[in-house]
Amino acid sequence: MKRYSLFFSLLLMSCLGLRAQENQINFEEFSLDNGLDVILHQDKSTPIVAIAMMYHVGSKNEEPDRTGFAHFFEHLLFEGSENIDRGEFAAYIQDAGGTLNAYTTADITCYFEVLPSNQLELGLWLESERMLHAKVDQKGIETQREVVKEEMRMRYDNRPYGSFQTEVMKRAYQKYPYKWTTIGSMDHLNAAEEKDYVKFYESFYVPNNAVLVIAGDVDVPQAKEWINQYFGTIPKGKGVIYRPNIVEPDLNGEIRDTIFDSVQLPGIFQAYRTPSMNEDDFYAVSMLSTLLSQGESSRLQKALINEQQKAVAVGNFVLDREGPGVTVAYAISSAGVSIEEVEAAMDAEVQKAMDELISEEEFQKLRNQIESDFVQENTSMFGIADNLATYKTLKGDANLINTEIDRFMAVSREDIRRVARKYFKKENRVSLHYLPKQVKP
Amino acid sequence: MIKYIHLFSLLFCSLVTIGLYGQEEDFRKQAPKPGPAPSIEFGEYEQFKLDNGLQVIVVENHKLPRVSFQLLIDVPPIKEGEYVGTADLAGEMLSRGTASQSKAEIDETIDYIGANFSTSSTGITASCLTKHQDKLLEIMADVLYHPAFSEEEFEKIQTQRLSELSLGQSNADFIARNVGQVLRYDEHPYGEILTKKSLKNITVGQCKEYYSTYFKPNIAYLAIIGDTNLEQAKKIAQKYFAKWEKGTVEKEFHARPLPPIESEVDFVHKDGAVQSVINITYPVNLKPGTEESVVANVLNTMLGGGMLNSRLNKNIREDKGYSYGVRSTLRYDKYVGYFSAGGSVRNEVTDSAIVEFLSEMERLTQETVPAEELKSVKNYIFGSFARSLERPETVAQYALNTARYKLPTDFYPDYLKKVSKVTAGDVKTMAQKYILPERSHILVVGNMGEVADKLNRFDAKGKVHFYDLDGQAIKDENTEIPEGVTAESVITDYINAIGGKDRLTDVKDATIELTTSVQGMNLDMTMMRKSPDKMLIKVDMNGMTVNETKFDGKKGYASAMGQKQEMGEESIEEMKLQAPIFPELDYLGADYKTELIDIETIDGKRAYHLQVTSPGGKTADIYYDLENKLKVKTVAKQSNGNGGEATVTATMADYREVEGIKVPYELTSAGVAPFPITLKVASVSFNNGLDANLFEINE
Repeated sequence: MKRYSLFFSLLLMSCLGLRAQENQINFEEFSLDNGLDVILHQDKSTPIVAIAMMYHVGSKNEEPDRTGFAHFFEHLLFEGSENIDRGEFAAYIQDAGGTLNAYTTADITCYFEVLPSNQLELGLWLESERMLHAKVDQKGIETQREVVKEEMRMRYDNRPYGSFQTEVMKRAYQKYPYKWTTIGSMDHLNAAEEKDYVKFYESFYVPNNAVLVIAGDVDVPQAKEWINQYFGTIPKGKGVIYRPNIVEPDLNGEIRDTIFDSVQLPGIFQAYRTPSMNEDDFYAVSMLSTLLSQGESSRLQKALINEQQKAVAVGNFVLDREGPGVTVAYAISSAGVSIEEVEAAMDAEVQKAMDELISEEEFQKLRNQIESDFVQENTSMFGIADNLATYKTLKGDANLINTEIDRFMAVSREDIRRVARKYFKKENRVSLHYLPKQVKP
Repeated sequence: MIKYIHLFSLLFCSLVTIGLYGQEEDFRKQAPKPGPAPSIEFGEYEQFKLDNGLQVIVVENHKLPRVSFQLLIDVPPIKEGEYVGTADLAGEMLSRGTASQSKAEIDETIDYIGANFSTSSTGITASCLTKHQDKLLEIMADVLYHPAFSEEEFEKIQTQRLSELSLGQSNADFIARNVGQVLRYDEHPYGEILTKKSLKNITVGQCKEYYSTYFKPNIAYLAIIGDTNLEQAKKIAQKYFAKWEKGTVEKEFHARPLPPIESEVDFVHKDGAVQSVINITYPVNLKPGTEESVVANVLNTMLGGGMLNSRLNKNIREDKGYSYGVRSTLRYDKYVGYFSAGGSVRNEVTDSAIVEFLSEMERLTQETVPAEELKSVKNYIFGSFARSLERPETVAQYALNTARYKLPTDFYPDYLKKVSKVTAGDVKTMAQKYILPERSHILVVGNMGEVADKLNRFDAKGKVHFYDLDGQAIKDENTEIPEGVTAESVITDYINAIGGKDRLTDVKDATIELTTSVQGMNLDMTMMRKSPDKMLIKVDMNGMTVNETKFDGKKGYASAMGQKQEMGEESIEEMKLQAPIFPELDYLGADYKTELIDIETIDGKRAYHLQVTSPGGKTADIYYDLENKLKVKTVAKQSNGNGGEATVTATMADYREVEGIKVPYELTSAGVAPFPITLKVASVSFNNGLDANLFEINE
């Protein structure tokens, strides 16, 4: 295989240019007077449309004594509006043969529908109701609060290692509002009052804080007409939208801690402080993460699972955030292997990435993996709508859906070693050990 | 009373919206009408067969420069017994090295081309950018033809699986899925799950054997999907898969598992759980590609099949707030399908959530579905179908099902037509056949101390069954019946404990007077029995008889407030069990059947649990204290005269000696009234010479 590598990479380069053009995602972009950004992507191959309505608000925009509010709000905004009764929101979509859902991160809240293409207007009407005059009664608040508590129990409390995100984040940040997780605090949700709801809605659920994307079998002139009708008369938000402008100080020394959980195997979660998604180094960090843990031949998987058999699971992921970021590396010990041994093996792999430049061949592998992922990201209409909305909201450029790969391809082998040395230092990380409860001294 | 919080200030709305835009804003009041429905084009596919029997399905879609290959071996269910996991491990071993490449080399190539690749007991799936497909296919063929099955790699996955099992068993959902499978499928191969014990029994030789027996092209299907065409697919199939040699694959016969006769509650304890994972499940005989499967899809979608607005979600999530989300599955299968409904709910509401699950299931079997709701569900299915066609893999899956289950070729293209014809009557009929709230395994994985006690009532026998993480019943040492103890010995011990056979046989009649207070009113009760089978019970309030039950050994009546009701056949059989003064004297006779079931704890004391069946076929559960041998509790089904049944429980305490015979002075009865009634004995007397005509019934 080595013999072909040069020929192979030349071949790849030429193919890449060709293919990138072939699979161009074409779209049209415009803004309404009230500040709403609109992106339309037409693809008539299946008679469906995906609508993504993304608000630039997430848990980082919350008050420190109202954490969990952005996500709770996402739940509440399915309750109804001036013209939609409680519980009818989902019913409209279901009756139309569609599906709907939403998600909240630290940076954004996204609502989406996928509908048969003849029901586009219905989806736009529902989203305009949600933006213009959402309404929720006491029963809705009480019920959704219980539902969110169940979500918290399911995702965090009752899942082995489920608390890692909460535990890692509160140690990785001292000031920046990423220090709490999107699920937030149940006490804060219990304490919320009517004025909190009104304030949050009036501040963030405004057209000048949102991006509307439609992808699929859409008649563009007709869609524009409807967008103007339903969204054009929604007034622009009056206040200044709160964006945390907080400088997070350096970690200045490793933070180590131990959590005792209902697990059988010890686990480790390390969080390195890495650049935000809008900094150049983000791409080199992402490629380093791919090097470490994507695929069976990746450094961590190969060493810890297949060769040394010290771990049963390993992984590494970069949180793509517009504020100060983190990269989380984790491993679960094999039965009978101590977590210290696992951590030493992980550290050795990171050290190797700092010390040695990766080979041309391994570098080409990374590039191939990135390219393959990039193509696969845009397989569904919802995927395309979501990607367009995210690029627009967080990076200000929807066309990155076609061009972001260039930024990955601009990363050099030296860049990867450089970011390993710069960010993957022990003094720049949190290292959390999870141990089975009964071991607690 | 409903307090509205207007998220957008009401004032602002009324002034600006109405004031400025007036009439124009009316379009917001109502949902817009849909445009003309688009036609849903079912994707095209091609199909051909190689000489070795391999059936190839080709779905062409050039949207992305990607292609995927799915090789499915249609292995029939095989019983693995103490070697459960052999097939599973064999599948994993395929990608762990071939005659010419190590696992590391395979991994390296796969990652180099950015491909996805995995092997399992039923085949190989792989995908990559089209330009890399030859490299991928070479690996696929190498793995298929020359797997190494090396001892070294086998030991690695054995160790790894052991850890993975530990990891899984920390997760309540994993446990609920695994144990649900064991309970549901009973002896069928589908009910076999990998355990730490079976894992250790498996050898690499057995894995190799599995591979050489079942990996045959004549029971296999290859789907080539994406950036390809028929001509290319034919070349690929010929080049990489034509050398694969066919062989005979025998099918084993396995009896189809049935749902339990009556519902049982099965519990797996999970330390520190703050939620219970509920899995209400049983096997069904629902075959793919049948008209029934179409109706079943409508039925299950309505109940809990993925819609945010399903009945289960609406009730348990949106109305009660018990869960983040609940769902149900009604799955067809060539051999045996299953029903499952469940979700995660907090500890305190576990029992309330089960009530809602069961009542939603029950409701489908009782009530006709409203036309509006049926229409909405059908629309949802139409939409889901249309959405699913976005992925070429969906078309491949339908083509595969058509070939594999030998369905008419128009089954999927005409699927939506079939859905549109489903009536409310069809749904109800299907619910009555497949929704069995009274014949379910109600499996709960959760916190035993906080949850289990409250679940007894859902079990037909009134008692939760405990299982371990592998789905094996937990035998409590305290419930193991000691050697030599039989139903006969328990009954004889009881007879001896209360006075001995001779003394009891000498009693020809007995009169017991009891008092109780119900909702502040004092009631006096007199029970008279005359050997062998006559009984009279009178209940007096303020000197007035309010209730009288009489039985003369053959017939009887009950009267309340002057209303007299003759006993039906059922009640007569029940009275035959109750009328004897010391019924245990009869139990040892040939007419009665007795069975020693187990040992249970009653009010903190261990007791033998006997089941007694009368000559008329009535059964009662009777409990005798292990230490003092005395009878402590009886449980019997009692007909209420209206065709229904109630479970009546009587507990006995405070035994005192009367004329050398021990008699309980405190009786508590539950199930006859909405609340338990405790009766205190005022007097007991034997052999008063009660006249036979006291018990006579005037026609």
